[in-house]
Amino acid sequence: MAYARLDRREQLTGWAFIAPALVLLGLFMIYPIIWSLWMSFQVGKGMNLSFGGFANIERLTKDPVFLRALGNTFIFFIIQVPIMITLALLFAVALNDSTLRFRGLFRTAIFLPCVTSLIAYSTIFKSMFATDGVVNQALMALHIIGSPIGWFTDPFWAKVIVILAITWRWTGYNMIFYLAALQNVDRSIYEAARIDGVPAWARFTHITIPMLKPVILFTTVISTIGTLQLFDEVYNFTAGSGGPSDSTLTLSLYIYNLTFKFMPSFGYSATVSWVIVVLVGILSFLQFLVARDRRRT
Amino acid sequence: MTDTSLPAVGARPAANVRSRVPANPFAILRRALVYVLLSIAAFVSVFPFFWMIVGATNKSADIIRGKNSFGSELFNNAATFFTQVDALRVFWNSAFIAVVGTALTLLISSLAGYGFEMFRSKVRERIFALLLLFLSIPFAAMMVPLFVMFSQAKLVNTYTAVILPTVASIFIIFYFRQATKAFPSELRDAAKIDGLKEWQIFLFVYMPVMRSTYAAATIIIFMANWNNYLWPLIVLQTAENKTITLIVSALTSAYTPDYGMILFGTVLATLPTLVIFFLLQRRFVEGMLGAVK
Amino acid sequence: MSSLKLSGVRKSYGHVEVIKGVDLEIKSKEFVVFVGPSGCGKSTLLRMIAGLEHISAGDLEIGGTRMNDVDPSKRGIAMVFQSYALYPHMTVRENMGFALRFAGVAKDQIARQVQDAARILALEPLLDRLPKELSGGQRQRVAIGRAIVRNPEVFLFDEPLSNLDAELRVHMRIEIARLHKELQTTVIYVTHDQVEAMTLADTIVVLRDGVIEQVGRPLDLYDNPANQFVAGFIGSPKMNFLAASIVEKSAGSVTVALRNHSGVQFTVPASGGAVGEDVTLGVRAEHFGEPGAGAADIRLNVDVAEHLGSTSYVYANAGGESLIIEREESRNEMGQEHITVSISPERAFLFDSKGQRIR
Repeated sequence: MAYARLDRREQLTGWAFIAPALVLLGLFMIYPIIWSLWMSFQVGKGMNLSFGGFANIERLTKDPVFLRALGNTFIFFIIQVPIMITLALLFAVALNDSTLRFRGLFRTAIFLPCVTSLIAYSTIFKSMFATDGVVNQALMALHIIGSPIGWFTDPFWAKVIVILAITWRWTGYNMIFYLAALQNVDRSIYEAARIDGVPAWARFTHITIPMLKPVILFTTVISTIGTLQLFDEVYNFTAGSGGPSDSTLTLSLYIYNLTFKFMPSFGYSATVSWVIVVLVGILSFLQFLVARDRRRT
Repeated sequence: MTDTSLPAVGARPAANVRSRVPANPFAILRRALVYVLLSIAAFVSVFPFFWMIVGATNKSADIIRGKNSFGSELFNNAATFFTQVDALRVFWNSAFIAVVGTALTLLISSLAGYGFEMFRSKVRERIFALLLLFLSIPFAAMMVPLFVMFSQAKLVNTYTAVILPTVASIFIIFYFRQATKAFPSELRDAAKIDGLKEWQIFLFVYMPVMRSTYAAATIIIFMANWNNYLWPLIVLQTAENKTITLIVSALTSAYTPDYGMILFGTVLATLPTLVIFFLLQRRFVEGMLGAVK
Repeated sequence: MSSLKLSGVRKSYGHVEVIKGVDLEIKSKEFVVFVGPSGCGKSTLLRMIAGLEHISAGDLEIGGTRMNDVDPSKRGIAMVFQSYALYPHMTVRENMGFALRFAGVAKDQIARQVQDAARILALEPLLDRLPKELSGGQRQRVAIGRAIVRNPEVFLFDEPLSNLDAELRVHMRIEIARLHKELQTTVIYVTHDQVEAMTLADTIVVLRDGVIEQVGRPLDLYDNPANQFVAGFIGSPKMNFLAASIVEKSAGSVTVALRNHSGVQFTVPASGGAVGEDVTLGVRAEHFGEPGAGAADIRLNVDVAEHLGSTSYVYANAGGESLIIEREESRNEMGQEHITVSISPERAFLFDSKGQRIR
């Protein structure tokens, strides 16, 4: 559409409103990003950098730690995001039922984890999942396990804990988006479907899901970005090590280590960070494609 | 006009509440299942909070052993925490960064959201589309240059360094622009005829009318600022400038962490976000509603 | 109390021109209604007068002063919006006094003016309520009150009644007419509802596609429309149009033959037109007569008849042309399949193929 032609004063006012944000974004986001792109082609230690062409990219393919971190990040992403989105959707649909009692209570309870502080929840998880901790005791009392699980010492279970923790924290957050979107779905559509004899599950798959598709896409993209950048949880759970034996090392944690822990290697760490950029780009694009394809059928 | 006293998401006139109680056994079973699942979810969500509060009253050894009843160690834990941590100072750091950061983010991002939506032009639309692309660029990609920038500006280890990069948030700008679509343009026309300048319209009409949007944004931004971890970890270097999140986190990485004392600290660290949430909860729901429309 | 003058006023968005040169003079104290179908530019024109839309070309004068680039608040106008546009976070009192606050009027003066306006509109008991606590009609009155408080030279109304239900609409229409009488200001009123236009206006301006089709007093437009568009727009139910052609012409009159009624011919007073020309004959629903009462009779197939008590509307057709005929209540005609009515030439209008009136 054609834009309403604004007169000159209005044009200026428009720029004035967005100028502070643009200046800040330019300074603290766009400039650093371009800089880091440039850096990713530099090699050397500390600030002594020289142009290395594709040397860093070559190094990536031969770096077992990087490959480990990449694999871990992928596992977190592929398992965690679908679980969380599905749970959030189910809770939202259940809570959107006006005949349900204690809805407000349930809603607040499930949303609560995302208001907690990062440090609280990582500490709580660490203490709850200690070898003699409350979770192991409960599982043993229920005879689900025979001996305590070393949640943080076993590479497999350490990953499980990370996935559990992020899911615990962010499911309620996503649920609120869906609940809000469900609010805007015209009630009479469901009533019409009931009168047409459409069963409940079909109402969910044929009405709710398509109606929520834009929100689902949005939350999936946001969650993807969040998971691929995973840092806070693993850093706190493992005291910064990404252990045991790198089993919870993520790309962000590896970048942090490359930059601030080991002998700083700015160029190489910038290259790793651009791996995340590219991954997020590809995955977001794929998600858009999936969402669009379903619309056609 | 929207009914601003909307009590909860999904609230509906009570009229149809009773008439729709399911009658056949299958429906009753399904309904029971929903309650069981929601109860489990609610329990899992809330239990850690209970655990945290209980833990703050117990000895570390008991906590690790999974004791989940209240103990008598609260004051000992508090005493240990306050001797090990300059709590007032650390709390002040966190509060200052979160409050100032939130206020600035709200202002700058809502100004931009309003500007993008109200004054549409081809160039600004293009810029907006570009910004949305940048939304997907992870913080890790700019962390190193940012750190170098702040080192060169000799701003490392200052509040400014923590706050500035977070102030213009593309996500929040996007959120405000979406919400602004629901702002009635006739209100702006009426205000112009009433003689208000554009900034006065923003200040005296837009901001009060959009208070639910601001409330929801406040929760999201405050949470993000209070919990911000990676960037403060890099840029705040001396103990007296660190946030409570960083300090308590450091305590947990001790060789034998004193969980009683730490959980006491986490209760302190969690309180502000909880308080903000419960204060703004009703508006939060409305604000989210407006943005998803 | 100001006169208005628009000369050569145009508005374009990019390459799209929505107001295509409007010349109009509005006298002081006149009640002028802009009417036309949606998208005709009537609201845009009003917003240009208000200063909410930039004038692309041409001049706007209010009270003899060129106002093109004057701030909306300094044009001596007040505006009532379709959605009322009340500030939801302010009480009725604050809403009404808001403009004065920004005009730097003293507090006690504001209080007095708000009080006066509230009295005129019987809003006094509502002054401390919020807009959401008011009914639609009350909000509308507050919106008018907010305009009155500013003591404007010109009142602008943008479809003010379209959000009200039918009963309230009639009530508020009378209220607005009363206010105009009482306040003696110039009013420009935009509506798509020709009944509002007919009942309220001193002068009606009919717009289509950004162009003025006709300006005149309500009954002049009804009796003497300039073209087929105005003829069809003014009057309810809509005027009927019958395809015809001119078969004979003499001084002061033409004889036309109806295309869908073979053999029906009659003579209409008019000096334009040419023999053989295709024309359209316009007859209002209320102007058909009993058989034999006019110059010619036509026989129609009845589709539906609506009996309203005092009148009946008969929806009928002949040769693919649908007509509406208004009759005095005629219960005894219920269930009839055919109807015969007469056409009186002096109550019929002729339009050429471009829709212009042939006089």
